Amino acid sequence: MPVAASAIYFLNLRGDVLINRMYRDDVGGNMVDAFRTHIMQTKDLGTCPVRQIGGCSFLYMRISNVYIVTVVSTNANAACAFKFVVEAVALFKSYFGGAFDEDAIRNNFVLIYELLDEIMDFGYPQNLSPEILKLYITQEGVRSPFSSKPQDSRPPANATLQVTGAVGWRREGLVYKKNEVFLDIVESVNLLMSQKGTTLRCDVTGKILMKCFLSGMPDLKLGLNDKIGLEKEAQVKARPSRSGKTIELDDVTFHQCVNLTRFNTEKTVSFVPPDGEFELMKYRITEGINLPFRVLPSIKELGRTRMEVNVKVKSVFGAKMFALGVVVKVPVPKNTAKANFQVTSGKAKYNAALDCLVWKVRKFPGQTELTMSAEVELISTMVEKKSWTRPPIQMEFQVPMFTASGLRVRFLKVWEKSGYNTVEWVRYITRAGSYEIRC
Amino acid sequence: MNADNRKGELVELKNQLRQLAGSRAPGVEDVKRELYKKVISYMTIGIDVSSLFSEMVMCSATSDLVLKKMCYLYVGNYARGHPDLALLTINFLQKDCHDEDPMIRGLALRSLCSLRVMNLVEYLVGPLHAGLKDSNGYVRTVAAMGVLKLYHISPSSCTDNDFPAMLKTQLLQDSDAQVVANCLCALQEIYLAEASRSDGSLKDRDSLYTTSVIYLLINRIKDFSEWAQCLVLDVVSKYVSSNPEESFKMMDILEDRLQHANSAVVLATIKVFLHLTLSMADIHQQVYERIKAPLLTLVSSGSVEQSYAVISHLHLLVLRAPTVFASEYKHFYCRYSDPSYVKKLKLEMLTAIANESNTYEIVTELCEYAANVDVAIARESIRAVGKIALQQYDVNAIVDRLLQFLEMEKDYVTAETLVLVKDLLRKYPQWSHDCIAVVGNVSSKSVTEPKAKAALVWMLGEYAYDMLDAPYVLEGFVENWAEEESAEVRLELLTAVTKIFFKRPPESIKMLGAALAAGLADAHQDVHDRALLYYRLLQQGVEIAERVVNPPKQAVSVFADTQSSEIRDRIFDEFNSLAVVYQEPSYMFLDKEHRGPIELTEDTGILPMDSKLSNDVLPSQHVEANDNDLLLSASEREESRGGVGNGSYAYSGPDLSGFDTPSPAAPSNNASLSSTSHTSPAIDDLLGLTFPAAPVPTSPSLKLKPKPLLDPATFQRKWSQLTIASTLDHTLSQPAALPSPQPLLRHMQAHSIECMASGGQAPKFKFFFFAQVADSPPSTGFFLVEFVVNTSSGISQAKVKADNADLVPAFGDLFVSTLRKFGSS
Repeated sequence: MPVAASAIYFLNLRGDVLINRMYRDDVGGNMVDAFRTHIMQTKDLGTCPVRQIGGCSFLYMRISNVYIVTVVSTNANAACAFKFVVEAVALFKSYFGGAFDEDAIRNNFVLIYELLDEIMDFGYPQNLSPEILKLYITQEGVRSPFSSKPQDSRPPANATLQVTGAVGWRREGLVYKKNEVFLDIVESVNLLMSQKGTTLRCDVTGKILMKCFLSGMPDLKLGLNDKIGLEKEAQVKARPSRSGKTIELDDVTFHQCVNLTRFNTEKTVSFVPPDGEFELMKYRITEGINLPFRVLPSIKELGRTRMEVNVKVKSVFGAKMFALGVVVKVPVPKNTAKANFQVTSGKAKYNAALDCLVWKVRKFPGQTELTMSAEVELISTMVEKKSWTRPPIQMEFQVPMFTASGLRVRFLKVWEKSGYNTVEWVRYITRAGSYEIRC
Repeated sequence: MNADNRKGELVELKNQLRQLAGSRAPGVEDVKRELYKKVISYMTIGIDVSSLFSEMVMCSATSDLVLKKMCYLYVGNYARGHPDLALLTINFLQKDCHDEDPMIRGLALRSLCSLRVMNLVEYLVGPLHAGLKDSNGYVRTVAAMGVLKLYHISPSSCTDNDFPAMLKTQLLQDSDAQVVANCLCALQEIYLAEASRSDGSLKDRDSLYTTSVIYLLINRIKDFSEWAQCLVLDVVSKYVSSNPEESFKMMDILEDRLQHANSAVVLATIKVFLHLTLSMADIHQQVYERIKAPLLTLVSSGSVEQSYAVISHLHLLVLRAPTVFASEYKHFYCRYSDPSYVKKLKLEMLTAIANESNTYEIVTELCEYAANVDVAIARESIRAVGKIALQQYDVNAIVDRLLQFLEMEKDYVTAETLVLVKDLLRKYPQWSHDCIAVVGNVSSKSVTEPKAKAALVWMLGEYAYDMLDAPYVLEGFVENWAEEESAEVRLELLTAVTKIFFKRPPESIKMLGAALAAGLADAHQDVHDRALLYYRLLQQGVEIAERVVNPPKQAVSVFADTQSSEIRDRIFDEFNSLAVVYQEPSYMFLDKEHRGPIELTEDTGILPMDSKLSNDVLPSQHVEANDNDLLLSASEREESRGGVGNGSYAYSGPDLSGFDTPSPAAPSNNASLSSTSHTSPAIDDLLGLTFPAAPVPTSPSLKLKPKPLLDPATFQRKWSQLTIASTLDHTLSQPAALPSPQPLLRHMQAHSIECMASGGQAPKFKFFFFAQVADSPPSTGFFLVEFVVNTSSGISQAKVKADNADLVPAFGDLFVSTLRKFGSS
């Protein structure tokens, strides 16, 4: 049984019901009260996203200042239910044009009810594709008030065909004056480094985001510098060390528009793209990662009331590139009184709410080494704590035009029967995922 | 005040709606919309607006789609409570069902089916029939779901009108994939419910899982939407393929689904793969290798909640195939920012996949977490270290680590560690010297938690010889008896004080008196009873009391596993569902009788360790539990070894022997114990141990093989297959010579009768023996014996089973004569 949701509730942080959609009769109408008293008002909130109360399961997630609760009374598919909520929120966002929060919900609740009616029937997920739904759920959101004449909300003649059609993600007959494709390769680097400077784990999760403004039904082909011999374990081991240009992807997943059979036989990524913005593919890499930053911390506790913190950060990407929004958070004990800083660049201060020394560098050039040193004064406490447990140093950054995996787009071919010319834009960016260095 | 206001508002709304009902003025739709919005928003926050029903219905004659939808929503919500008013809506809904616009036809049909009013069912049948045959796919999808809704209102009118059969045809023929998916949903649910109503329709349900239907679905898989794919894959996973070639073909077609962007599709595909290969062990392993990468990707993508659902599944798979994931251990390292429910699962996975090659790294990492800010996680990680120690044969390094925890001087770390050290000592008594030296330094004042206190007290009682100040530490505890809130600790204290009295009487006699007096006066029934029991036993004599309170122990080889592999298999059958998240089969949380009260009872993340520890506190109980079914436990271990894969773990081998024969430390313990304190029986026992192997007795009719070999699984199989060929009663001449099973085991072994398992507690012991005819081929000619002896009375009984029943009388004679020799020598 896939989802079979009995009800979906949207609650604000106080527990007020914003949206309440019952799909089935097999749970009582007071389920939302059960959720409030047994989960929201206890300290268990947030300890586990799946809870069971009186035979019903509550699957909930918080998105900005809203809780979305799915109630099921059967042995439902949890992964599918969460995925459904995530997709539904994405759909709402595309309707509201951005934010999904309490205000947006209050302002658009009629629309939300209308959508909830369409995307799930009797608890089973139906069609969630924004492209298609927008053809026939046309109620204006908050952006234009009702004063304008109510639109003729009947769908165009072919819309209903589209509702259930096979190429569900693209509409026929699109026309753009300028045919453009934007390709964004976004990678996030995860790192866990021990005190001794050895890498405990390191991986990159990347995604290729696409924005298509193309006329007609174009066929696209994307070439990357990867070696997609989707690995058998044995080959991985026999593989020669990374020879510059080819990247070994550990695992790839594609948007449903990608022809997977062709990918498996010809190793090319070919597809008919949806209109507008979408995530073309996701990948994961664990080998041969170029870490953009090295961090060399040294923290000395001098007696009971003083600490000396010295953090060196070295950028190891190309000298012509630079990182933006670099933040280094060095944890300090709770009883920190104040800290005096010396930095070679950027600004540093002590943030008592986070119990961290926060060092920010707005623009960090490649191939440079910056340091922050601080003298931290502690308040001597009555409670004798033998050793302070040091949380890891965390780092945030964005490096444009750099990929930690080394992945590059080799080509992007667009083919359409009318044979128009297209403009392709490619961007790369690497962000910090969880970049942790123990100290 | 508020209620009055609201009432006033409702009345006003009512009037406004009434005015608008007939109006055809321009702009009236906008006003209506605003009013409807108000009504719906009241409905959402739980205000009863059902009094507006007739006005709402009157206003609903409109061509505005948005208004219509709001009206449908309203009607759907209140129709059930007002069946007579709902009748009003039928008319316009039925009219809409014939609208020329397919969208409106669909909407109307959906709303019609959602009224959920029993006496309106007759109005549903016609539109549903028409809907299923509609030329438009959208209407058909709605109709298919409508049939299911009808079934939920009135099963009989659904089946009597032949709707299931229509759905079945639609399922096989419809060109629209979403219609097919909805038919599949509806049929699955209807057949399942029918099956529980009557037995006949099980056939119907199985007709969904036939080759033709499954092939049809698989071949169209790409036509389905991602959600429908989840459903279809779930159905496919229930299909039993007839031969391996078929399975391979299916997997070939579905393999690209593993690359789908929707995590739910990937998980559903994984389920299909796992279930298709269940009967092919080696392919099954390959499937694990294949799905590893997609799973690990899912873990690190998507929202936290999604990855929690995925990690729960990964956790189940890791427990089933730890070796496959052993090399990926770094993926299960906790991130600082992971929520604690994810960290908990990761810790469990690290525990499960620890083996010789990665133990060092894993334990090092776990030790990092012991200093974690999150105390709950710190505790879990210490427990994890302990669990790994209990799994592994080579525990040297781990013990050192654990002992370092004690030096961290954090209360909760100390507490967890003490409990673990206790468990470790019960399994590996040979480490007692190292551990006790450190434990001795722990200040009893810093230990506050009951479980930790009980563990400390147990160690003080058990290792009184090694800890010089044990009596004095215990004395401190006894003095604070009244302040000790935990009954668990007081119980343990009674036992420890009594045990120490056997070992170091002069130092502890006074304390024993005080403890017994306090225990007798205790308000807690169990504590009182135990004090009374000890008191009476001591009245019978110190030796008797010691035999009961402090019998020689065997090292525990395997701690009872809280979750049997059978349950895990059931969860595995329900892969990709809540059962995996809750870590219990669905009947545990769906059936009413298993369900807890409404209170917050289910904490899904509890480590199995918790419940186990509570059993461990009373060592004696544990021995009894072992005794209950020796055969079972032996075979379970066999299974768990199988589950581990190719048995590459060091622990499984030595364990087994540790169960049958005393581990090296146990006898020496015995020896030191008896040499200092007590007299006759134990010394006999010592003598028994040093016997030179007696000449093998040969009776002319039967010769036994000197070293027969039989593995526990075969033993159990034979035991359950064969019938009892003979029952022998015998009274031992010197029953007291059996304070523990070991001497008898040695004796029987010397006479070519091997022991499979033994257990029990004085005065009752139980043994399983086996022997083999000397010149028989490897797996035949076995004799199996269940031997129960009561050492105080000397009465014993042996039940003999044999492959060859003819030889039983001869073997019986041999067995009894062997027993007789044991008594007389």
